[in-house]
Amino acid sequence: MSIIPTIWMSAIVYASEITILSIGFTLTYLTAKIPNFAHGTYAGIGIYIAFTINKIYKINPYVSFPISFILGGLASVLIYFLVINVLTKLGGGSVVLTIATLAIQIFMTAAIYIYAYYLNRLFSTYTMGFMLKEADFQIGGYQGIFPVALLIVIVTVVVLHLLLTKTNTGIAMRATAEDPELSQVIGVNTNSIQVFSWFLTGGLACLAGAMIPMWFMSFPSSGAAIITSIMAGSLLGGLDNIYGAIVGGFGVGLSEILITTFLTENISVKIGEYRPLIPMMFLIAVLLLEPRGLNGVWERIKVKRQKRRGS
Amino acid sequence: MLDIIWSVVAQETQTRLIIDVALWFGLLVIVAMGLNFQYGNAGVPNFGCAVQVIVGGFTVSAITTRLAFFIVQQAGVVLKPYDSDYDWVYNNFWNVNVGSNPVIKANPLLGISLLLFSLAVALVLGAVMGWLISVPAIRLKSTYLMITLITMADASQIFGKNIPSIAGGTLGMFIPNVFEWYPGDRGVITAVITLAIGLISFLIFRTMLNSPYGRLMRAIRENEITVSSVGKNVVGIRRNILMFASGITALSGVLIAFYYSYVNQDLYQRAFWTYWPWLMLMVGGPGNNAGTFLGSALVIFMRRVIIQYKWYFDQVFFFPVAYFEDILLGTLLILTLIFRPNGLIPEKLLYIPGVNYAKLVREEVKVDWRRAPKARGKESKFQFRRKKEETA
Repeated sequence: MSIIPTIWMSAIVYASEITILSIGFTLTYLTAKIPNFAHGTYAGIGIYIAFTINKIYKINPYVSFPISFILGGLASVLIYFLVINVLTKLGGGSVVLTIATLAIQIFMTAAIYIYAYYLNRLFSTYTMGFMLKEADFQIGGYQGIFPVALLIVIVTVVVLHLLLTKTNTGIAMRATAEDPELSQVIGVNTNSIQVFSWFLTGGLACLAGAMIPMWFMSFPSSGAAIITSIMAGSLLGGLDNIYGAIVGGFGVGLSEILITTFLTENISVKIGEYRPLIPMMFLIAVLLLEPRGLNGVWERIKVKRQKRRGS
Repeated sequence: MLDIIWSVVAQETQTRLIIDVALWFGLLVIVAMGLNFQYGNAGVPNFGCAVQVIVGGFTVSAITTRLAFFIVQQAGVVLKPYDSDYDWVYNNFWNVNVGSNPVIKANPLLGISLLLFSLAVALVLGAVMGWLISVPAIRLKSTYLMITLITMADASQIFGKNIPSIAGGTLGMFIPNVFEWYPGDRGVITAVITLAIGLISFLIFRTMLNSPYGRLMRAIRENEITVSSVGKNVVGIRRNILMFASGITALSGVLIAFYYSYVNQDLYQRAFWTYWPWLMLMVGGPGNNAGTFLGSALVIFMRRVIIQYKWYFDQVFFFPVAYFEDILLGTLLILTLIFRPNGLIPEKLLYIPGVNYAKLVREEVKVDWRRAPKARGKESKFQFRRKKEETA
């Protein structure tokens, strides 16, 4: 029927979502210097925005993508102003801020569950364990989300690259990530840069979340559940390099589905249950072999080349 | 007539509440004290304490149960086969309740020794697990450590779910009731033993804190680089602390398994065994055992009251009470971090024999504050010059 096997399509859609989420996770780590454990939960918000748009208001689910980008960004900015900014001003260290993000994750997951129960009561439909596959359009036998997800990833990467290298805001963002105090000295308003980056990360995460129910079964907790894959992708990329996060996120997302499928087909069906262990393996392997991830490997290669040239 | 029944029921509810609060306080205060030892005093953010608790539970289900079956078989009781995974799970109920429990009822010593055996094994296995989970990230920044530890709890649950010979897979499994010989309520004796173990571990932690090792821990928390520059092995000490506290935390898992007489990987969820102890630690005040006790007592009491009056909350809310608890947990944690960053009871200075802090501070003040500035004021050229500038 179609040339590309379904499992590859599924892997690519999943990898695209993980890539976008990993980019956001890395961006937060760069600007705020904390691993944001609530990052996966933004995706949960996206999932329920898509659900509300399609199932309740009967609109095309693709309409929910821009809406979830904006709403997710606003939620993220709200979290920044209410919690992160306050704690930073009080002088909380990175551990305290990370605990705060964990608290936010617990709070938001519970809030999404409550929202799902609320919808269930109001409209008396099922609100957990749903898919929006049937609302998707078809292109030549393919589900529409497959090209759309790839397109969104490519556009995100290109736009982010242009933003970070060509515009003043992006350059200021990079400067803030490198050294906040020094960039303040040269006249960068670090506060507004922080707000902008939190908006961007929240929006991107929520956008990726809106893509999840188009292909996968979704629950209120499925956003919080993929945080391991996000962290693995981000760590594989080096945790301090956005281009690394693109490669890492795509690699982890692809391998998570492909390795599981390969092993279940060739060894035993039981292995499918161990799927969440794959990103953990990546995490542990990266930390043991090269804590700076692909970025560190790349830098090592660069140094070697320079030495060769010098000699 | 109804009144009398109602009063009996009410009294029963109240005693149950007291037993419940005592038991859960004992269980969670062990975990919270371990966290306080690690994070509050040494700055090791252990977000994987669910792993150690699960190790305690799995010790009971995988090792103690097999040992109990073996001993019971030696005593001459015929048990159903339990070698294959299938038999292990499906003959488990018969083997435990019909086969093993009467033997334990007849021999209280067997029950007690099984309890002590599982506590000892859990202590060792918990420490081993602490070493294992510390391997990837103990050398790196604390954020990396948090990232790895927080994922480990899920990994251990996955193993428990899919390997039935550990804890019966998704069905869970019954374990021999080591308090079978006790005539009264099992909850009471478990609560008493749990509180006793909590007290013992408190004394151990306290002694360690007030020893030179405790000062070393605080020094690592304050500044790793300084400590390593005076020749201490910071990574090794952090690993030791994680291992030691992990061993103690695993005891909590053993006790909860014996209380339920049932082990299922679902009972050891990350959310419950990691986030609630962290809330207790942060509310009470990290770096302070008294604070941990207060925080644990407050949080446990709140949770148990919510669970006791679940029927009331169920009428008010349209969603399960568990999510209300989660909302409460998140809100309380953030509010504590913002308004009471040092907790309800702030940290105190360590007790060092022969050192009187008040005297020390007074002497320091005498030297620095009363005499030194005056002397400097007369002689300093810098100040003189500045005064001149001001007048000009």
